[in-house]
Amino acid sequence: MSGNSNATASGAIERLWKPLVARSRSKRALLLMAPLVIFELLIFVAPFLILLRISVSEAGERGTAYAEGTWSADAYANVLTSEVPREVIVHSFTIGLIATAIAVAVGLLYAYAIWRADGFTKSLLLFSVVLPLLTTLVVKTYAFRPLLSPTGTLNSLLESVGLLSTPLEIVPGLAGAIVGQVYIVLPYAVLAIYSVLATMDWQLVEAARDLGASRPRSVLEVVVPQAMPGIIVATVISFAWSVGSYAAPFLLGDDVTFAMRVEGQILRDFQWPTATALSVVMIAAMLVVISALVAVLSRFGGEVEYA
Amino acid sequence: MRRESLETALFRAGYLVVFAFMLLPLAVVVVTSFGASGQIAFPPAEFSLTWYESFFDQTDWLRAFDNSLLVGLGTAVVATILGVTAAFGQEIDDGLVGRLLAPLVLLPMLIPPVIFGVTLLVYFTEFDLQGSYVSLILAHTLWATPLVYFVMRSVFRRFDWQQLDAAHDLGAGPVRSFVHVVLPNVKHGIFVGALLAFIVSLQEFVMALFLSNHTTETIPVVAWNQLRNSLSPMVSVVSTFLILISLGAILLAAAATNLNWLSKQLS
Repeated sequence: MSGNSNATASGAIERLWKPLVARSRSKRALLLMAPLVIFELLIFVAPFLILLRISVSEAGERGTAYAEGTWSADAYANVLTSEVPREVIVHSFTIGLIATAIAVAVGLLYAYAIWRADGFTKSLLLFSVVLPLLTTLVVKTYAFRPLLSPTGTLNSLLESVGLLSTPLEIVPGLAGAIVGQVYIVLPYAVLAIYSVLATMDWQLVEAARDLGASRPRSVLEVVVPQAMPGIIVATVISFAWSVGSYAAPFLLGDDVTFAMRVEGQILRDFQWPTATALSVVMIAAMLVVISALVAVLSRFGGEVEYA
Repeated sequence: MRRESLETALFRAGYLVVFAFMLLPLAVVVVTSFGASGQIAFPPAEFSLTWYESFFDQTDWLRAFDNSLLVGLGTAVVATILGVTAAFGQEIDDGLVGRLLAPLVLLPMLIPPVIFGVTLLVYFTEFDLQGSYVSLILAHTLWATPLVYFVMRSVFRRFDWQQLDAAHDLGAGPVRSFVHVVLPNVKHGIFVGALLAFIVSLQEFVMALFLSNHTTETIPVVAWNQLRNSLSPMVSVVSTFLILISLGAILLAAAATNLNWLSKQLS
């Protein structure tokens, strides 16, 4: 019986392999790519199929995470109709959209500064981006607590100058979570835009200025459209990571994001179907928003528009 | 003319503020690690090395260091092998599989790490691997491989492939020609890729939070669990070490290639 299934399995592999070889010039190239493809299938695709399967299972009895082998859409109904998951989703998207807007705008300015700088200044500016990028999230976020909390550095500074009488409630709060999240994604946004700007010809901008465009206008009408592929990548990365943010809202915020809720449901409440259904709904919603953002942004990109 | 100089001043002020914003939190971490009291305050009222001294007595931190090192090295090895072979294969033949490979490798980077943590926890539990080093290394490899892969694609693209053809014409086999002709030209790229993979693993914490157990916890996980309770300068001490390691890695990588090229690979 098992020999039989082995034969069908190897038959299936052969049916899959032959057309692949036929469409590629070299079998060796396929063999070289095979380890990574197999790795992605085993550690990325397969786990996600299991996640999907659990999300359509019934909730488990007391003490078990989910009921194996059952089918039910309850978890989805629960996520889509009840109050709390909806609030959590809205809150996550709020953080995601605000953090993305700030990160991309500031990232564009900074990438432009790096592009225009040279020598030591350029290295220093690049370094200031790469170091935070390679530092752990935990470190990056908690440092804002002594800075922004009601008794922290910023508030005591403003109070001693006499600008404030009551401390600002930045941390914990939405503003704190957004500051932390922007700090996490900004390096990626800067580098995504910079790597596109670096291939661009500065003389184009000079030509626009020679023709009488003011400097802000030359940036808006020449630099931004050219940098659009980088801006799109920066938007997608910033958004995807900010919507799913966990550390910044946890340490600096005052409300539950979807990532925090999923964590709690998996590790503490053992409600795996609800948690996985919430994950699936979030990924779907993220994909919709990301494709909408890309569609809107690419309308502005590519060609220079002469107004 | 006056408007121009105003614009220049504003632009300069703008990016200097961002520059300060980028480095300020790291400065806070380093400075608070020298605080004397048990509370984190910036700037600290008194400076001391107390927390550095007590770090070396704490077995859970030292074990976390060993765990991070082990998982980081494992990730670097696996991700480098997967990334280098795949990028090399794709350079030889950019066929159907090659075109599907790039999005397949990139996609994991867009999925929130918490979802990955959950998914992989469920998955590895099926194979009784939860809490193991293997599960941590595989999870981190998922995040580190895209970096190695894209670094190597960019390196291979600059390589002069006629040299390889020449080696073949002169009778060198595939392995020999790779070792003697390709490898010397791309070894810096491989080194940088491996280094980045190591750093990604060292700093990653959301997936590690789900997948590790008490004996396999990495540094960021221990730091996180302590932060949940209180803000002790010990976390700053450990974070300072992490920042120093990243700093060293950047300097090494910049020495092997250059900072400008490295920065473009990271996006």
